[in-house]
Amino acid sequence: MKHLIPRRHFLRGLGVSLGLPFLESLSPMQKLLAADASKLAVTKDGRPLRMAFLYVPNGVNEACWRPIGGGSNYQLNQSTASLMHFREHLQFLSGLAHANGKPGTDGGGDHARASATILTGVRPKKTAGSDIRLGISIDQLAAQHVGSQTRFASLELSCDSGRKSASCDAGYSCAYQYNLSWRSETLPVAPETNPRLVFERLFGSGKSSERQLSAHLRQVQQKSILDFAMEEAKMLRKEMGRNDQNKLDEYLTGVREIETRIQKAEQFGPLPDPGRGSPEGIPTSYQEHIRLMMDMQILAFQTDSTRISTFMLAHDGGNRSFNEIGVSDGHHNLSHHQQKAESLAKIAQIDQFYTSQFAYFLQRMRETQDGSSSLLDNSMVVYCSGLADGDKHSHDNLPVILAGRAGGELTPGRHLEVSPTPMTNLYMRMLQIMGVPAERFGDSTGVLGNV
Amino acid sequence: MCELPSRSSWNVRRDLGSLFLCLFVYLLAVGSIAAEDFYQEKIVTILEDVCYDCHGEGMKKGGFALDKLQARDAELKDVDHWFSVWKNLKTQIMPPADEAQPSEEDRQLILRWIERAVFRVDPENPDPGRVTTRRLNRREYQNTIFDLLGVKFETDEAFPPDDTGYGFDTIGDVLTLSPILMEKYLEAGQKIVEQFTQDFGSRIPTLFLAGERFLVSPDKSQNARWLPFAKEVKAVQSQPIMHPGRYRITVTMSTQGSPKTTANTARLNLLVGEKPIANQELGWKFNNNHQWVSEADLTVGEQTLALVLSPGNPPLENQEPLALNVSKVELYGPLDRSYLEYSEPYYRVFSDGPPKGEASEKEAYRRKILAGLASKAFRRPVDLPTLERLIQLAQTAETASNGNFEHGINHALCAILISPRFLFRAEIQAEPNNPAKVVEIDEFALASRLSYFLWSSLPDPELDRLAAQGKLRTNLRSQVDRMLADPRSERLVENFVGQWLQTRDVEGVNVNLYRLFGESGINYPQVRASMRKETEMLFAQILAENRPVLELLNADYTYLNEVLADYYGIPGVKGDQMRKVTLAADSPRRAGVLTHGSTLMVTSNPTRTSPVKRGLFILDNILGSPAPPAPPNVPVLPETEKQAGNLTMRDLMEQHRKDTLCASCHARMDPLGLALEQFTYGGTLRKTTNDKPIDTSGQLITGEKFANVTELSQILVTSRKEDFFRCLSEKMLTYAIGRGLEYYDTATVGKVVSGFKVEQPTLRALIYQIVESAPFQKRRGDGSSHVTTK
Repeated sequence: MKHLIPRRHFLRGLGVSLGLPFLESLSPMQKLLAADASKLAVTKDGRPLRMAFLYVPNGVNEACWRPIGGGSNYQLNQSTASLMHFREHLQFLSGLAHANGKPGTDGGGDHARASATILTGVRPKKTAGSDIRLGISIDQLAAQHVGSQTRFASLELSCDSGRKSASCDAGYSCAYQYNLSWRSETLPVAPETNPRLVFERLFGSGKSSERQLSAHLRQVQQKSILDFAMEEAKMLRKEMGRNDQNKLDEYLTGVREIETRIQKAEQFGPLPDPGRGSPEGIPTSYQEHIRLMMDMQILAFQTDSTRISTFMLAHDGGNRSFNEIGVSDGHHNLSHHQQKAESLAKIAQIDQFYTSQFAYFLQRMRETQDGSSSLLDNSMVVYCSGLADGDKHSHDNLPVILAGRAGGELTPGRHLEVSPTPMTNLYMRMLQIMGVPAERFGDSTGVLGNV
Repeated sequence: MCELPSRSSWNVRRDLGSLFLCLFVYLLAVGSIAAEDFYQEKIVTILEDVCYDCHGEGMKKGGFALDKLQARDAELKDVDHWFSVWKNLKTQIMPPADEAQPSEEDRQLILRWIERAVFRVDPENPDPGRVTTRRLNRREYQNTIFDLLGVKFETDEAFPPDDTGYGFDTIGDVLTLSPILMEKYLEAGQKIVEQFTQDFGSRIPTLFLAGERFLVSPDKSQNARWLPFAKEVKAVQSQPIMHPGRYRITVTMSTQGSPKTTANTARLNLLVGEKPIANQELGWKFNNNHQWVSEADLTVGEQTLALVLSPGNPPLENQEPLALNVSKVELYGPLDRSYLEYSEPYYRVFSDGPPKGEASEKEAYRRKILAGLASKAFRRPVDLPTLERLIQLAQTAETASNGNFEHGINHALCAILISPRFLFRAEIQAEPNNPAKVVEIDEFALASRLSYFLWSSLPDPELDRLAAQGKLRTNLRSQVDRMLADPRSERLVENFVGQWLQTRDVEGVNVNLYRLFGESGINYPQVRASMRKETEMLFAQILAENRPVLELLNADYTYLNEVLADYYGIPGVKGDQMRKVTLAADSPRRAGVLTHGSTLMVTSNPTRTSPVKRGLFILDNILGSPAPPAPPNVPVLPETEKQAGNLTMRDLMEQHRKDTLCASCHARMDPLGLALEQFTYGGTLRKTTNDKPIDTSGQLITGEKFANVTELSQILVTSRKEDFFRCLSEKMLTYAIGRGLEYYDTATVGKVVSGFKVEQPTLRALIYQIVESAPFQKRRGDGSSHVTTK
């Protein structure tokens, strides 16, 4: 194999064909200078344009979830009734699929493939660890292009703070199951689960008066250390074999990103005031945890600290109980309902639980003023699951809701039914709206234009 | 499925088989027959008999045709396919149970042929493979920081969870480093150094004097832990003082003797020598660890401290008399900081204490400190350019902080903690991209492999010293013994057993114990924590006492405390301390890890047992023959739906047998899981389910029958013990070498298993075999080995 320079390594990771601008995006200085802020991640009115992904696991009880009727006269179903007040902000999309989530010749492991494909559209290499390979995810691709506009290129969040021991789904490394965001084909982005740490990363640690100072102090100290780290990594890299060099490349990317952040801190001036104190940590109630994480995303959007966020409410195949709504069986067990009425009813209860969390998110987004409209109006939010039916492990006709107006680019308030279409065609449209050039993404076959 | 031949004829035929194999290997070696001829004549004949019905002559079930795998191709590109064949044959997944089976010697013959002709493994000289540079995982980082600096840094909070591969979090390829983690490493480095300065920086010393040591004369049996108010009493202790000056004296005391308020009082005088320092009126309200603070000037030499108690008001009628209990006296000083104390961890960084002397002396000291620190942290001698850079960093920071020497070192320490040489366990070798180049890793790398395997942390000074002298390899076993005797080896138990038997999960697993027992007053978190300890202690003791490894599966003793014993319904265990308890020969008898609460709970669903999960657990972690995943869209079983309420778990599992698709795998796992049905999803015993008696009998896919879990365990430690040895070896090898096992590792695993069986089947012998194995001792260049190795 021909030796590749480290930056080329990233190109290999793209499930997308791109022109040269991407290479530029790897150089922080160039990126800051070259970025044309008028086109990237802004609405027609010049407001920041946000992109958010919310993921729920194990599919849904389709009969209770899917909207009734098509077009603008659609009716909400039992499981999504809590979204009633947001009807005009939602587009239910039926017919989107991830063909690469299907077994193909890879056999079992649909939960791993569900979370692996959802934001990438790429078939994960079936391996328990020796050679994990997927593709860049939509949020990370967008972040590489528009990330220079904000302090943070993107946020990655999850409510799963632990990892199960032993193996994950059917011969797949756990990396596929716990990470939605992938920086490159080999590098997943581990999500943050502690709302306090999210807050401190965004707004600094300590009391609000100390935050500015402590963040600044650290940055000054960090600079000289980063120079040292960079030199060390380059020196060590020379002595290593190919696979080991990939690890050092991950390291070098990390160092460069911190440098970019320090440059950005200088460019963007003082940290924004979030108008609230830091959360204490992970609450015991799942609902509170979810809502706190949602609050963090909204704070980040509101202060324009980032324009892109990804939130995995729980990992696929997860077996959480929902005692707060009287469901003590595990979600994954229940999802294998075998058409039993009792199990299906409980799945519908869980689906309702999740949509009511989504309703909370939408509520907060809508009540947050953004220019002359709301945060929700200037966003595109995808709420989805990587499986349609948890029993069949189906990857066709995924449950997908697209919320928000993207500053007028989207036409919500309807149920759009399309013939089987790759989910990535929707992502192509979202990339267009974000101003990100891409000819193809994952398994896309075109652009889902009429959303 | 067809009946297997009886055991006696089996053994005879197996011997014939190995004889035949020896002949084959010999013939291959002398080159009198070509591999391809052998393939055509012998192997193809067997494959035709047992495989081609589905995978040959035009049939290709599962998209797989064996007759296309010609021997010539097999040598090169079809190794992956042959590995599938090998694995399926080895674990008896193929041929399916309801098809004709090969004889045992034919099965062995094909396996050996694949290993030698296709994999080209050399059993005497196995391919070491190559582990990708490992990043420290969360546990390793935490331990390394603690062992290096004495700082307790909670990584579970600070870093995102590590991804796992092959069931472990030590796998180099999966331990990725995302930009956000890099950010967190930088933050962590700074916080750790801050913490170090705060905890272990210079400080005023404190001398602790125990209350017991203040003696009352002439009766030396009485001391300051009990001084009745009733009569005048003087308790005295003498203490040498090294550093003169003013001291703060803190007396921690409480008045005792009466639970109710009393009028009884006394006056306490503190004297140094004959000189009164302070006095205090004492009464009932001092009944809760009161701290009485005063100051005194102390001179060098023996100083006598005296506590003099004089009676005050007596108790009223019907009131209890009081007594004084002095628990300790602390001397904090000299307060003018004329002498400062440096804690042991301070010397880990500042090896010769605080800096002294001229600039040139300090410069030499700075170099010495950073060389020592970086070499320890990088786990090998630091190279000169790196050292120069660190010195430069320290100097700059020192200048910026108005010449604060320690601040400069701390800044360089931050840089050390963020260096890739610290975060990664890099193993440098010549020709890193030449897959044909196999080298022994150097002794420093070996020291790291050993210490991260057994201690989940960096090498200690003795390992460093041996590595520097090049004597570690020759003293490997004695070092393993020394390391296993060290308390740090508890981390091997926590991390290896924690993941292999999933004891890490038992405290958090979603199992609804409240639903099982209601408001019973049971302390569930303590039960769960004790379950984790039970399994870990069994492993730790079998390791420490060199007991047979099979006791993991059939020990007639376990480790319990009162809470867990009560929970299990085992009488006679009192107190929180976990201790060895011999188990009664009940039926079913708790014996070995399969009957531990930890295992039973991590393999259950939130509100019911799961024979499938329990069976899979045994297949995966004990027998080493994992079943393939369930197919999607499992067909609905109408009977199940109608009668689910009345069916026992066995009835439900019986449904699996009705569909041949399900039966092939469920016949392997269901009986194993059903053997544990007498244990609830919470791990307690039960006599019935749905008011029906529980049938725990079953049969292994390999033919052995059992009536209950006791008999199942007996089978596991007798006729299936080879499978267990292999499985345990594979798991521990994976954990230790940090990569999944490949086809070429069949030779290493074979060697490890036979080695530790011959030696003695103990965990210690297994660890010896692993650290002496090729993949632990060596590495080869990157790339595919198969094309180039001969």
